[in-house]
Amino acid sequence: MFAQIEKLGAATIQKFEEVGRLSVFLYRTVLGLVSRPFGFKELLKQIAFIGARSMPIILLSGLFTGMVLALQFYDVLARFGSVDLMGSAVSLSLIQELGPVMTALMLIARVGSSTCAEIAIMRNEQQFDALTCMAISPYRYVMAPRLLAAIISIPLLTAVFNLIGIFGGYVVGVFIKGLSGTAYMQTIIDTITWSDLRMSIVKSFIFAVIIIWISMGKGFFVHLEKGVSGAESVGRVTTKAVVASAITMLFADYIASSFLI
Amino acid sequence: MSFDCSDHLHYKVLHLTGEIDLSNSSEVRRCLLDIINQGNSVIVDFSGLTYIDSSGMATLVEGLNTANKKNVSLMIAAANGAPLQVLELTRLNQVFSLIDSVSDIQE
Amino acid sequence: MNRNFAESSVLIDVKNLNSGYGNRHVLHDINLSVNDGEILVIMGGSGSGKSTLLRNMLGLKKPSEGQILIDGMDLCHANKSELLKLRRSMGVAFQGGALLSSLSVGENIKLPLRQHTDLDENTINIMMRLKLELMNLAGYEDLMPSELSGGMLKRAGLARAVIMDPKILFFDEPSAGLDPVTSVELDQLILKLRKAMNMTIVVVTHELESAFTIADRIAVLFDGELVTTGTVGEIKTCTDERVVNLINRSPRDIQIDAEKYLSRLTKGAN
Repeated sequence: MFAQIEKLGAATIQKFEEVGRLSVFLYRTVLGLVSRPFGFKELLKQIAFIGARSMPIILLSGLFTGMVLALQFYDVLARFGSVDLMGSAVSLSLIQELGPVMTALMLIARVGSSTCAEIAIMRNEQQFDALTCMAISPYRYVMAPRLLAAIISIPLLTAVFNLIGIFGGYVVGVFIKGLSGTAYMQTIIDTITWSDLRMSIVKSFIFAVIIIWISMGKGFFVHLEKGVSGAESVGRVTTKAVVASAITMLFADYIASSFLI
Repeated sequence: MSFDCSDHLHYKVLHLTGEIDLSNSSEVRRCLLDIINQGNSVIVDFSGLTYIDSSGMATLVEGLNTANKKNVSLMIAAANGAPLQVLELTRLNQVFSLIDSVSDIQE
Repeated sequence: MNRNFAESSVLIDVKNLNSGYGNRHVLHDINLSVNDGEILVIMGGSGSGKSTLLRNMLGLKKPSEGQILIDGMDLCHANKSELLKLRRSMGVAFQGGALLSSLSVGENIKLPLRQHTDLDENTINIMMRLKLELMNLAGYEDLMPSELSGGMLKRAGLARAVIMDPKILFFDEPSAGLDPVTSVELDQLILKLRKAMNMTIVVVTHELESAFTIADRIAVLFDGELVTTGTVGEIKTCTDERVVNLINRSPRDIQIDAEKYLSRLTKGAN
């Protein structure tokens, strides 16, 4: 019995250690943002990777999400005789909630996993040791550009998701369910306020930090994973990173919503 | 490290003294390229040179390349000790014209 | 760094080094010095603590006790600019090269120059190519690390390590994964570098032939302890059992217990 308690204690201590490590990691990455010289080339490369090349999946998932939302809401609203509120229902759901969350999930799948794997491989191949020995801070040269690229790209991608989602809702509402197009757009303009948009931006910003921080952090400390090495360790931390960022993101979503709604 | 220029027949002679490394090779580069771009043939005098690193070597290589483009010549005189070993290690002793001393050139 | 050191002055001084990971104490009271201009080979089997010792000397790991002095400066207590100066004069060639995967070979080699010097782009390019030629990698500058073989990666890593003509070169397992011919070539290159550039070189290896070829002195590690240091001749005639075992590893001399061997081979058979 005591062995179990010991194990539980050890696991808890380990968890605290990990949180501590990741916090220091984030702190140093943020410091890396203000160090000279900043890796602009890397920043642009990462914006292209995180931002530009995520566009196709954001467009697709945004479109389908908007379409499904419209179908869903039509059914609900019809029962209350308020189908003309479709526009505001779809847009509010997207802007406040689904836009940031779905964009984040798509990016966790695409960017989170590959960034974590990339950083983990760099660690395994001693690339960070090499950088340190060349007196080049890994935080400034590798991590900070990725953090900044995420902060710039993800809110923009969220906005794109929202827009294409609203368009998807329009397509379903107007062409499939026969609602009035102008009414759809009008309700949107009437209902959406600046605080809704602010919620979208704030959430997407927070999610961006969470995603890139956890992915990079887990990869960076892959060498501390017990019992595995090489390719297997990369796979393990990538899985952990994806799961951890998703759960943390959803938790943050709840906290943010409770403050901002 | 110090360097200065003198004339020998129609050549400009660049005397290098001391050690050439990352901290001062840019100065040497500027001087050497100026001389060459003005259309002068150059003899780089290594007699006072005790050490030259890769940035110094790279400067000389760039000088030789520029000289070739401008149809002038670049020679190295009195290479000895560590600088000579670097020339051998990099096989640049087969690329540069090496002479024993500036006075060997009589025309 | 002052290049006018007397031949016998100590460049790297490891004093009473104790280092470990968590509760695991790896290195015990290591005292080691490396003289200016010499090639020191650190040898030991796996688990002897070679990598930990190297990481401490490179400033990648802090010791739990003891000091590492490089050119008189304490590695653990150096401030940022002192550390920068030290690192600029230390080149490190890692096992496997440790090139950055997102940069081409040429860009990798140029990286320290770009970050730490104001040299003209032409100069930097020529310097990079000079080093590639030295490593027999001429023409590979535009390839990505993923396109190179293990041996080429090592040589590219070495090219990067020496691009700034460092005073001290650290080489982690140069021969690992190399065919004998390339290994011999690499040994000769190490000797040439010392001669022409007056480099002090610390090599961590387990390859006996290489060690005996290049070393001025050899330091033998066993189980986290420094067993002995000496010239190649001294090591070869050393009577300490651990050193003898290290040098004379020949499978055919190992006595086997025939019965136990047979039962190991046929375990679980009917």
